[in-house]
Amino acid sequence: MSLIEGLRFSWGTSPVHNLDPRVKFAMTSVLFVLAIMFFDLLYLIVILLAQVPIVVVGRIGREWMKTLKGGAFLSVIIFATNLLSLFFFRGQHLTSDMIEFSLSLTIRFLVLMTSFSIFFLTTSPDKLSLALEKARIPYEFNFAFITAIRFVPVLADEAQSIIDAQRSRGLELERGSFLARIRKYIPILLPLIINSIRRSLELAEAMESRAFGATKKRTNLYELKMGRIDYAVLLASVVVVSVAVYARFFLPSPGPLIPPITFI
Amino acid sequence: MRSMVEAPLSIVDISDLWYTYPGAQGPSLKDLHLKVKGGEFVLLTGPSGCGKTTFCRCLNGLIPHFYNGELKGAVVVDGLSIADHPTSEMAKHVGLIFQNPDNQIFALTVEKDVAFGLENLGVSKGEMVETIDWAMRMTGIGDLRSRATHELSGGQKQRLAIASILAMQPKVIVLDEPTSFLDPVGAERIFEVLATLNREYGITIILIEHRLDLAVRYANRVIVFNDGEIIEDGSPAKVFGADEPRLAGVGIPKIIELTKRLSRKGVIFEDIPLGADSFVDEIRDRLPMVGTGTFDRRRMAEYEELTGAQRSEPMIEVKGISYTYPSGVRALRNVDLTIHRGEFVAIMGENGAGKTTLVKHFNGLLKSQEGSVTVDGIDVAKVSVASIARRVGLVFQNPDDQLFSEDVEEEVRFALRNFGFDEDVIEKRVDWALNLLDIERYRKSSPFILSGGERKRVALASVLAWDPDVVVLDEPTIGQDYAQKERLRHFLIQLRTQGKTTIIVSHDVEFVADCRPRIVLMAEGQVVADGPTERIMTDAAALKRASVAPPEMIRVFSRLSDYGLPTDVIDVEEAADLLYRRMRGAER
Repeated sequence: MSLIEGLRFSWGTSPVHNLDPRVKFAMTSVLFVLAIMFFDLLYLIVILLAQVPIVVVGRIGREWMKTLKGGAFLSVIIFATNLLSLFFFRGQHLTSDMIEFSLSLTIRFLVLMTSFSIFFLTTSPDKLSLALEKARIPYEFNFAFITAIRFVPVLADEAQSIIDAQRSRGLELERGSFLARIRKYIPILLPLIINSIRRSLELAEAMESRAFGATKKRTNLYELKMGRIDYAVLLASVVVVSVAVYARFFLPSPGPLIPPITFI
Repeated sequence: MRSMVEAPLSIVDISDLWYTYPGAQGPSLKDLHLKVKGGEFVLLTGPSGCGKTTFCRCLNGLIPHFYNGELKGAVVVDGLSIADHPTSEMAKHVGLIFQNPDNQIFALTVEKDVAFGLENLGVSKGEMVETIDWAMRMTGIGDLRSRATHELSGGQKQRLAIASILAMQPKVIVLDEPTSFLDPVGAERIFEVLATLNREYGITIILIEHRLDLAVRYANRVIVFNDGEIIEDGSPAKVFGADEPRLAGVGIPKIIELTKRLSRKGVIFEDIPLGADSFVDEIRDRLPMVGTGTFDRRRMAEYEELTGAQRSEPMIEVKGISYTYPSGVRALRNVDLTIHRGEFVAIMGENGAGKTTLVKHFNGLLKSQEGSVTVDGIDVAKVSVASIARRVGLVFQNPDDQLFSEDVEEEVRFALRNFGFDEDVIEKRVDWALNLLDIERYRKSSPFILSGGERKRVALASVLAWDPDVVVLDEPTIGQDYAQKERLRHFLIQLRTQGKTTIIVSHDVEFVADCRPRIVLMAEGQVVADGPTERIMTDAAALKRASVAPPEMIRVFSRLSDYGLPTDVIDVEEAADLLYRRMRGAER
């Protein structure tokens, strides 16, 4: 669950929150591309460290740590499976470059996860929807997206009430065989579904009452406007990606970080 | 342009309106004729299912554009006929606000939600900013503008809903039971906001409410619906002075009831007062300072008998419990409470005071993080929820959070099966419970086709069926009309005579006062006062701390305290009697 936690927008203001969502998307995409472009452990560590200041400026340190904790288990699996498969397919030898390679894949995973986190943790769905609007996604899709996010906490509360009500009527979710336990979710799912249908009708009425769809030329309270910082970040992203492409194709690889040793 | 020519005096003009929902057997609205003048504050009431909500839907064209069905007659609002104008166009002229605040908020931040309607209308950004600022200021949510909508309290959400409608600058605002989910303080703020809009901007308000005691003070016209027809229409004094509303199952506001009883005894009122303050002003000069006779009312013995507080052995013992939700909200702080076998207790306090969190500890849904809860000597933390629920039956606020079966009978069986009763016992219990709540005739019906009040009774039956020693009802009066509340009150008396320990969680002051339970007041996760109804309801400081407004009769008598009259009068009959005896004494 904490993996998903890292993708949930955290309310707040910071220079990173205030970035134009399009610029922020470009910035995180660059980080993403860099992570995929390089295999070298040294470069990947540099990219990961380069993300830390963004996390700090964005004041999402605590949420990011949660994401890392959530991703820790997956990281171990990535490291172990890579190392084990290398070990078995390369004649059951364990060398330092195998460790380095597995480690770089793990770091790459962390970099990707961090760039996702930076984007989603600091971009309010309102702004995201605005960016989608600018990208000419039809408003109906946009509205559905925002509504889905809006009702996550409402539905979570409702599910809790239903679980409480049915447990009070003697429903024991944690007892019985696997199949029996699945059947026990019927008294919880049915009210949830029926309530949602009822709710959707009420929502539709309220939408009508707020002139939804009155005009094709819908306006928006928020406008996206590129500021000086936005242009600077955009420029920096372009520079970084150009340097990276040059380094990847024209400069020699920095070589292994760990000196070559054969363990077994 | 037509509206310019005719220059309508009435902002709402309805003639010969009939409406039948698709597939319904009979019409929901019958032969309605109604004119509302601009700037009126109309209170519309009537028993559940009388067609009030259907009427609202006609006003902004949800009927006939969203709901099909058969519509006859004409509805003209602000010069526009609903037949010719879609709801999205009507929205600029008439705004509709619904019962559940959650289902009318669309954006993630407050200001964005207020802007939603204007965005839909294509209003430019510059114009929008000014209007939404004004709307937020008028509804008192200006300082919440960049807050996340899901973090707001129920009252704040409902004021946001009003701001969002207000931003579209309609001439008429229609509210369909907007305060059902709110505590009295939240409700009063909503009414204050509406009164200001009405007074300062001449916005016509049509308010549908069951909470008459509070709402009647603001209205200058009352309309009573019954069975799709208007049965009464006029000033509050005239309408509630008539007998029809009571016969239709509409409660009479307590102050008007008191005035009526006094005038029946021969006391003449020039203006019928609508609130405690105006009543006291009206009556003060006629009341002599010293009275005849003493007020030995021998109430204590009666009280003890009613609440079952004969100090029998403890049923529920709560010792020093605290509870903090994962979100960091401290819902309970070191609560101690003992409830005895056969006692009748009401837990009161504003929304968020920790009432529901506390009762969830009674059957182990929540395990206390500190302190302990025992039920009949059993430590709740050490046994499963199911085994303690067998003794403590919890009935939640919203019946829709638990109904799921094909028919009512099956719904009632559900818990009995879970608890492992024998099949023949189950059948007997089902029969018994269905009879107890008078829903035997719906035995084979789907619970989903029943009305709100009936669904509530099914939920109650499904808990009472296993005959728990303790019955806990969370907000049993929400969304219930007067007749349904009266029925519930009688049912609670019945439970008490059966020796059940009964606990209700409620912020319905008048209902609780009428029930005369032991009252436990909560505020900020703590018990701030605990005692018999008369004592708690006259403890102004404790009530204020718990944000509970005293009942109307107490309000009257607390202002008459320097006349040597008792202050703890709750019953209207007794109040009328006391005041009349004092006045008659003066005449002699």
